[in-house]
Amino acid sequence: MSRKKNYMGMLLVVPGVLFVVFFMLVPLFSLCFASFFPEQSFSLSSYFSLFQNIYFQQVFLRSLRLSLLSTAVCAVLGFPTAYYISKHSKHKGMMMAFAVFPMFTSPVIRSFSWMVILGKRGIVNNALVAVGLFAKPQSLLYNEFSMTVGFVQLFLPQMILSLIGVMDNIQDDLTLAAGNLGATKLGAFFHIVFPLSISGLVTGSVLVFTGCMTAYTTPQLLGGTDTRVLSTMVYQYAMSLRDWTQASVVAIVMIVVTMVVSSVFNSLSRKINPMA
Amino acid sequence: MALLELSNITAGYDQNIILKDFSLNVEKGEFVSLLGSSGCGKTTTLRLIAGFSEPVSGKIVFDGKDYTHVPLHKRNFGFVFQSYALFPHMTVFDNVAFGLKMRRMDKETMRREVMHMLEVVDLKGFENRYPREMSGGQRQRVALARALVIKPDLLLFDEPLSNLDAKLRVKMRVEIRRLQQELGFTAIYVTHDQEECFAISDKVAIMNKGVIEQMDTPSEIFNNPKTEFIARFVGFENFFDLTRAADGRYVTAGGQTITVAADRTGTHFKGCIRPEDVAIVSEGAQNAIPGRVMVSTFLGKHTQLNVMTDIGEFVVSTDQNQVFPIGSAVTLSLMANKIILID
Repeated sequence: MSRKKNYMGMLLVVPGVLFVVFFMLVPLFSLCFASFFPEQSFSLSSYFSLFQNIYFQQVFLRSLRLSLLSTAVCAVLGFPTAYYISKHSKHKGMMMAFAVFPMFTSPVIRSFSWMVILGKRGIVNNALVAVGLFAKPQSLLYNEFSMTVGFVQLFLPQMILSLIGVMDNIQDDLTLAAGNLGATKLGAFFHIVFPLSISGLVTGSVLVFTGCMTAYTTPQLLGGTDTRVLSTMVYQYAMSLRDWTQASVVAIVMIVVTMVVSSVFNSLSRKINPMA
Repeated sequence: MALLELSNITAGYDQNIILKDFSLNVEKGEFVSLLGSSGCGKTTTLRLIAGFSEPVSGKIVFDGKDYTHVPLHKRNFGFVFQSYALFPHMTVFDNVAFGLKMRRMDKETMRREVMHMLEVVDLKGFENRYPREMSGGQRQRVALARALVIKPDLLLFDEPLSNLDAKLRVKMRVEIRRLQQELGFTAIYVTHDQEECFAISDKVAIMNKGVIEQMDTPSEIFNNPKTEFIARFVGFENFFDLTRAADGRYVTAGGQTITVAADRTGTHFKGCIRPEDVAIVSEGAQNAIPGRVMVSTFLGKHTQLNVMTDIGEFVVSTDQNQVFPIGSAVTLSLMANKIILID
């Protein structure tokens, strides 16, 4: 009787599993397959030639650099914000709504807004010229700076949300206990709050990093043609050059990089908090 | 001079004043309990002493120094939390060592002190465990060790045993009392459990609505409650008006003269007596009051009777094997040396 019930329960996951198998695992395997069998037989030649390509090396390092930098900036900006909202804000619901608000707008519109703000006649240029820091308007767009700005604005809410979720579970008594045992406020923060928030920081970092690696519209609109990243490169190979094998190879590289970086984040966090 | 003096403390916020003009003195080496129902301000008092919050007005003096605005990390008071508040990402050793680490003690001495303290609380061999791998009683002892190892000038307990089962609670309170007598620390202990606090304390302060109603030794509180609130708290259930006549005799509202062993100056009092100190007698006994049985409840060891008299309803606890039908007439005798006079 109970065994039968368990089978009935498993039926509930069938639609989800089917969806994932057909729309994620099958395409992924065919992608993998295409990249390892460029000429009907197994070969790593596509990978070798790609990594020897100077242009790819530049794009690869740029992608990694921009994603890591954006993740770091999101962490630095997100941590104090999340800490304030979780532990000190009297209007938590409203503050969270503000933090999440940018997510209600499409990344395309947000990228266009940055083009207006950072453009030659945008408010940033006007302000810098007026203050006298710039002699004449400079191009702030289509470089790594504008891409980082775009990424950070795009993914900061995810970092903040991940951190708030974890920080809410840190009992206030723990920081009081640390203070009672002689820790300053800063000491309590570094010994207690930070290590206990680390799992949220990792989740947030993985989300931000993966988001940056895979984002397409933001680097396309704010990066332009001189600053390609892996995601725009895939598009270039697939749609402009019709080289599906190369596109698959780049896509696999992106997946592997994301997985490696995520596991590095995870093992770093376990060093700080073995219970995370 | 007392070790700790709280004088004229007001605490709370806006419309919600928890303590008003509150004062408390604790002598060195004393184990003082704050007893009261939830919301009476006992935990607020403890947190003020620890420095978790500051009073709106009033003064906290410790060992002759003004501690009112001293930040919590400079107070050297131990605190045992109701939730234990162990650091979940640290081992038992690191939890206990935390306070010593903050005091920048050298590693070798620290190790020795921590291991010694773990031995004192009977947790030797547990130093590499994490809090989540331990039972409630063990966590409680880690919390105790963590608070004791810094050699605090004052140890504060916030209902430390309320999350334990009844058997363990009794065991731990004996343990805490033993440690206190062995190590001689001064302690303030917050609880809502009367038995626990009488068993563990040198002095008990009973709190009600933000003030201390009475602070005395447990036996003094048990035998000589000063207010009706305290009297009810320690088991007095019968209250009746008494007037002291010019010749020193006490007269009930019904005009009957009653013999009371205690004597006080003043004219109007409330007499109170515990149910077990009222006997059911045949007519003619001392302080005999006629009444009629209204309710009879069998409670195992004894039977409780609610008897209506012309000076009010009396609760009587009797172990006599006599059955008193509802409505039957009985005579109560109030033991003269068990009647307490309160204002």
